[in-house]
Amino acid sequence: MNNSFVRLIDGMIETLRRDVIPATEGEFVRGQAFGVIFLLENLKRRASWSRAFLGEQVAALTELRLALEAIDAPAGLPRLSPIADASEAARDTGDAEVAALIDWLAHTPCSAAAAVVDTYLTRQIRHELATSAKPMFAEISLGREQ
Amino acid sequence: MIAEQLQAFLSAERGRPVTVSDLKQFPSGFSWITYGFTADGDDLILRLGPGNGLYAPYSAEPEFAALDAVQGSAVPAPRPLYWSDDPATFGDPFLIVEKAAGTTPIPWGHDDGLNDSKRARLGTQFADALGALHAIDWGNSRLARFGTGLTCENAALVQVEEWTEKYRRWALRPHPMLHKLLGWLRANAPVAPRLSIVHGDYRLGNFLEVDGDITAILDWELVHLGDPHEDLAWTCLPQYRGGTPLMSKLVSREELYARHAALTGHAVDEASMRYYTLFSLLKLAVTHVAAAYAFEQGGFRDLRMPAMGTQIAPTLRQIEKALAA
Repeated sequence: MNNSFVRLIDGMIETLRRDVIPATEGEFVRGQAFGVIFLLENLKRRASWSRAFLGEQVAALTELRLALEAIDAPAGLPRLSPIADASEAARDTGDAEVAALIDWLAHTPCSAAAAVVDTYLTRQIRHELATSAKPMFAEISLGREQ
Repeated sequence: MIAEQLQAFLSAERGRPVTVSDLKQFPSGFSWITYGFTADGDDLILRLGPGNGLYAPYSAEPEFAALDAVQGSAVPAPRPLYWSDDPATFGDPFLIVEKAAGTTPIPWGHDDGLNDSKRARLGTQFADALGALHAIDWGNSRLARFGTGLTCENAALVQVEEWTEKYRRWALRPHPMLHKLLGWLRANAPVAPRLSIVHGDYRLGNFLEVDGDITAILDWELVHLGDPHEDLAWTCLPQYRGGTPLMSKLVSREELYARHAALTGHAVDEASMRYYTLFSLLKLAVTHVAAAYAFEQGGFRDLRMPAMGTQIAPTLRQIEKALAA
């Protein structure tokens, strides 16, 4: 996911209030929708991205840092900082350093460093895909089950 | 509100009172807001580029200039009437065009309403319209001012830098794979066979048809001058094939290439196609990044935006595979 947990919850609540409930027939069904809003408000106050979701990303960054330290790298190769905690901010700081390293490697090739970075990129993308739901764009576009 | 603004604007432009009626907003689209209306019996379209839209900030000038440039060519397109980037009239940049007849088949879902013969007929026209677009001599058109400093040698890199800037502007978090792709795109830029009008989003879903005839190519908001391979590669993205072997679910790759070569006089170059396929994936990934940004920080509350944002990872996976191929 690329939007924040809180913004997604707020967006879902706003859609229910402004789009779904006014267009929904029947007191019971509208009541159920308000029940969803109430539960989402509770989730917003108590939940966040799981430790498993962020922990794997931080673990992958840590392994990349250690792998880079182990190679015979050219002078000036940017090094990664240790990750502070399993948080979105720490992951993003780590990924910013990886991005800077990739930019540097574009001008100063180092196959050993490029190889461990590629391993990291593959692991990161696989984790993102493994934690994503099956797309529903046909349903979203057409407004009906496919 | 919009109806009164339209009435005042058109009355001033035409030097007589104009009555606006039947105003309605079209529900589709992620970017420009589109209204249909009637002005003294003429069916017209108003497009507004909202400040919180997907690709904001907007300018209506390139789209107006492109639509103007293709009039009288073999590219079916709405006739443009008015444009301005001054927010004084409608609060946002705007474009008013004549309304074209037809419906839009979309690439998503199991049923796009096209049978085999209609698909083949549309596919031929779809390929020919793209070839015709790329063959247009735009040198004396309103688009020419957007070609200042552009050459066959720098066309690819100009686009790469433009999309790099969009990525930097909209990314809510770093995406290291995009940095790897940008390095590859900068190191492998091809020379364009010619500088053409590039539609920028040429695919199923962005044209109108009536009984198997394309009546108008739509959604010119990403139009620019550049390498024609850019449109061809975008059209051929797997995302728009709808699970079929057909490019944009309409035409075989061989037929698309052959008709394009016949109309432009340039054979399709496979190395350029590979380059622009990867560039198209950059555009797609950055568009998904933009959708997440528009929802998170731009005040765009449509839930389709964060849903699009979830597609960054699948696109990065496509990029990884394409770079390794």
